[in-house]
Amino acid sequence: MSNIGRSVQREDVEGKVTGETRYGGDLRGPETLTAAVIRAAHPHAKILAIDLAPARAIEGVVAVLGREDIGGTNRHGLIKRDHPVFCDERVRYLGDALGMVIAETPEAAKRGVEAVRVQYEVLPVVATMRDAIAPDAPALHDFGNVLATQLIRKGDAAKSLAESDVVLTHTFAMQGVDHAFLDLEAGYAEMVEDVVTIHASGQWVHEERRLIALALGLALERVRIVQPATGGAFGGREDLSIQIYLGLAALTLGRPVRMQYTREESMIARHKRHPMEIEYTLGAKKDGTFTAAKVIIRSDEGAYASTGPAVLRKAVSHCTGPYRVPNVEADGVALFTNNCPTGAMRGFGACQLAIAYEGMVLAMARALGMDVVALKRKNLLRDGECLTTGQVVPVASAIDCLDAALARFGWADRAREAPSPTVRRGYGVSTFCFGVGYGDGYPDASRARVRFADDNVLEVYSGGVEVGQGLHSLLAQIAGEEFGIESSAVRVIASDTARTPESGSSSATRQTVFSGNAVKLAAGELHRQVMDAAAVMLGLHWEDLVIKGDRVVGVHHESVAAPLAWVLASARERGFLLDATAVYKPRTVAPVDDSGQSPRAFLTYMFGAHIAEVWVDIETGEARVKRIVAAHDVGKAINPREVAGQIEGGVAQGLGMALMEEVVTRNGRILNASFTDYIIPTILDVPTIDAVIVERVDLEGPYGARGVGEPPLIGAVPAVLAAISDAIGRPVHQTPATAERVWTIMQSPEPTLVTTWSLS
Amino acid sequence: MSESNALHPERVAMTLVLNGHSVSVEVDPRETLFDTLRERLRATGTKGACLGGECGSCTILLDGEPVTACLVMALQADGRAVDTVEGLAEGEQLSALQAAFVQAGAVQCGYCTPGLLVAATALLRKNPKPTEQDVRRGLAGNLCRCTGYGKIIEAVLNASQQGDAQGTQKSALRGKR
Amino acid sequence: MIYHRPQSIDEALALKSSLGQRARFIAGGTDLVVGIRKGRTTVDSFVDLSRVPGLAGLTRAGDTLRIGAACTHAQLEREGITALAQACETVGGPQIRNMGTLGGQVGTASPAGDVSVALIALDAVVELASVRGTRSMPLADFFVGPGRTSLEPDEMVLSVTVPTNRKSVFYKIGKRDAVAISVVVAAASVSPSGDVAVGLGCVAPVPFRPRKSEQMLRGHPLTSERIDAAAAMAASEVSPISDHRGGATYRRAMVETLTRRLLRTLADTPYEGLLSVAMSHS
Repeated sequence: MSNIGRSVQREDVEGKVTGETRYGGDLRGPETLTAAVIRAAHPHAKILAIDLAPARAIEGVVAVLGREDIGGTNRHGLIKRDHPVFCDERVRYLGDALGMVIAETPEAAKRGVEAVRVQYEVLPVVATMRDAIAPDAPALHDFGNVLATQLIRKGDAAKSLAESDVVLTHTFAMQGVDHAFLDLEAGYAEMVEDVVTIHASGQWVHEERRLIALALGLALERVRIVQPATGGAFGGREDLSIQIYLGLAALTLGRPVRMQYTREESMIARHKRHPMEIEYTLGAKKDGTFTAAKVIIRSDEGAYASTGPAVLRKAVSHCTGPYRVPNVEADGVALFTNNCPTGAMRGFGACQLAIAYEGMVLAMARALGMDVVALKRKNLLRDGECLTTGQVVPVASAIDCLDAALARFGWADRAREAPSPTVRRGYGVSTFCFGVGYGDGYPDASRARVRFADDNVLEVYSGGVEVGQGLHSLLAQIAGEEFGIESSAVRVIASDTARTPESGSSSATRQTVFSGNAVKLAAGELHRQVMDAAAVMLGLHWEDLVIKGDRVVGVHHESVAAPLAWVLASARERGFLLDATAVYKPRTVAPVDDSGQSPRAFLTYMFGAHIAEVWVDIETGEARVKRIVAAHDVGKAINPREVAGQIEGGVAQGLGMALMEEVVTRNGRILNASFTDYIIPTILDVPTIDAVIVERVDLEGPYGARGVGEPPLIGAVPAVLAAISDAIGRPVHQTPATAERVWTIMQSPEPTLVTTWSLS
Repeated sequence: MSESNALHPERVAMTLVLNGHSVSVEVDPRETLFDTLRERLRATGTKGACLGGECGSCTILLDGEPVTACLVMALQADGRAVDTVEGLAEGEQLSALQAAFVQAGAVQCGYCTPGLLVAATALLRKNPKPTEQDVRRGLAGNLCRCTGYGKIIEAVLNASQQGDAQGTQKSALRGKR
Repeated sequence: MIYHRPQSIDEALALKSSLGQRARFIAGGTDLVVGIRKGRTTVDSFVDLSRVPGLAGLTRAGDTLRIGAACTHAQLEREGITALAQACETVGGPQIRNMGTLGGQVGTASPAGDVSVALIALDAVVELASVRGTRSMPLADFFVGPGRTSLEPDEMVLSVTVPTNRKSVFYKIGKRDAVAISVVVAAASVSPSGDVAVGLGCVAPVPFRPRKSEQMLRGHPLTSERIDAAAAMAASEVSPISDHRGGATYRRAMVETLTRRLLRTLADTPYEGLLSVAMSHS
């Protein structure tokens, strides 16, 4: 029986239900010290003097480290190295670190942090994007407040809009969102001989090692990152956090050190999803055919670059989503402010744009008096057509997903009557797409090693981290598949820079395709070694042999057989290492010219369609999601239950973003940095989510698989917003659609749905 | 008044019945039961994501009732029964609920899982045949960021249908590593 | 730091009297422990009430229910007083309701205290005790400001008494359906003689009764017109602020909407069995 397409049990699940699994905060060594970070007191200030002496005087404090204790560049960051480990001259947001206290107990560390005295010269706060571009705005970085710009030019948007029958312009605003993974930043570090060994959760162990070595001035081999069990990531562990402080403390003191953020510290220090403002103009012919789009995107980058330029590029390149728009003019700008830095989060820029283009499609349907599903059908890309970037998509399956979702929902028979005199029912449909992998020519590869260990257990070595998504059991399924071995019999060794190859990050919805393919390639080579040995041993052509359980047997002659263990022994005698490493490194290309066009911006694209039913109390504005059907073309579901799990979880996060989650920031300060006021959906808020798996084989992915991580969130937000809009008869273009916001929209005068109406 | 009942720092001896076993431990009167369990008794199965009673990750049973250990002072638990995730399995035998979580795919990152299992155990003891809405209400104090809750509800309902049926054997997987 | 475990109410009161302000009673701990962790509250010594006999009793006498201060929210969900049960059901999750007590709820004096709002709408009376004796007052008068009450440094909340013969209803607008601090919360009740009491939360420095609105309803049948006028009056009496949970305009508007909705429910619903009037689809 094939491993592929089977809902096998995850290898990590038993430890997780018994409480035996160790996460970063569960790790201790002998006589372990506790570290805590000294954070900025102002969102923007010049540092005049730092007095660490009072902290050193606190009983139980072992050491207080500052800028001068760092040997390297003192900077990290995934794209620009602009994030100081400890600030030297200036603080740019409230999460900025000035130093750290290491103590015998957590209480002493906390008292030490409180004792540090810093003299500041408070500087004006760049609180909003508007502030950032004001003529007298203080420059937050040497090159000013513009981190990055991105554009797409396709056809002639201005000319086409002038000739269009209908032209609509709307503005959209999306909030900052926190990843709110439950397992707070926590970890443990110790010196093993002269290697600083850091046990803490990130999303890319090898990159973390590089960044730490560079910032602290260490040779790469003196840093080892080992990922413990990880309680969620969602992009929130891509930027370096606790790892570097742990490393510095263990390195400096030579003693085991642990630390853990509080929820408040985690929310203040960790990057967020980009708040964006989008101005969107869409043109169409009378019959609904889209003609042109003009899109302006402003992205609040916060204090440091993080992955901002890449998020902006993804936003721009996904600006028309899964639609055929022949003329496009899109411009994006990412602006520095004194807010919390913004970076990767599930959806990565494509999510905000989906809210905008789906809002426009809905507005266009209303303006034209067309059914929105019919309008989508007319404009959704078909197989072999071109995206806005100029890339041809061989499988453009938004239509397939739409049909599947409509069928599962029972769209034709949906109820229309109001549930009560004050409650209205609304339905929303979204269609969307998402490019897999880093894209745009950025180096993107995964390596894997597969071998038979001395005990003849099939082993997979991968640098890819498990953050809850089920990667490691997926890799076991794939390796086992090549040998006809159950995934439960495969041993996975993962995410340890000293033992595993560089497999890239668990992000960008890339691991199924990238590490899946790398494991498949390596397992294929190992399979050839084994079969060559078996062929010699059994005297048959290797193609006439197959591994069945613990034996190698003849395909046509079951009587010809040998125990696999004998074959492996024979292979070793013949000099096979029974050990294979492979790399999967597909080609993508950067924009070919100043038009932002790229024939292969992303390796492959995922498409999906969601339908939401939402009930809105028209007196209070409260919206409750009653049902969501979420259809995704995943190519091939290698583990269908886990694929459904990803879809359901992503939809729930999308529901949170649509209705309730918002990082509320005033003058550089987050007002709701706790789980009391940063609200994520509870079990009472999330309705039944119906995950529909569409499988149109992908040309690149292993067994046709395409990945699934991010898109479920992307589709849920616009579907929920469209449903609210349907219920109240007004557009909802700002997230989150809280009760107050929905009520306020209902109070305002009837909006002008059509800003330009030039039907000739 | 009786000063004899006053407990002075820095260390006070207390006893709890942890997962059925009597345990004596010296605590600081300022510490919470959460810290006693994790730091002193090294029972790290109980997790904490907010330490403010908002997430339910540290749910334990105190005399059989689910509470968040982060809001219980250690000495409030003196002499009382404390049950944590570590006590759910009978040796190598997973409880029906644990097995149902495994089978339904109710576990992704797993960080909320211990608290959910403890809360759901209490729920099923009180209400062995809950409706979906009962399950939702009973688990409303436990946040999960990964699953969207559907498979958790499915797992609890499946476990309730098995009644007192035993869970599955922990697999041989564990011996392999 | 000293941790006291008194065995009687008298012993607890004597301890509090001798230890003063920074000795804190602890029962459920759901507010106090968070306050300590966040550095909002400094505590020199704890007086642990969790095992004091006689504090967690529920006593029915005539048309009243006396609720001991150590009764938990979970207990009160089951007492059949609609607004109180509905309010208790919305507090935290089951874990918090198993811990958090009535004494803590009213002693915290949060303007967003859902249960306090329900209690003042039931015309509840609070009983306070100290070594000097006991005294009682309407609960609505007990709250004097955000987090501030009429409690003297040596006093404790002993009980709250509510009538059991009033029809009552409760409605909360939060940002999600569980474990949410209210944006606006309201409750209302009517006595067998037709007196109406309304409680409002998150719209004033304290859980608030709109007295003028209540006055408009006194001695009149709950007609649609009168309800609308009383609801509008309630909205004019409150003084909401704008904060990260909600804006003043919305809050004021919701006072009118919820007051109207609750009064209409009281008017339309038979005296018995008003157990669920929350949004029909919730």
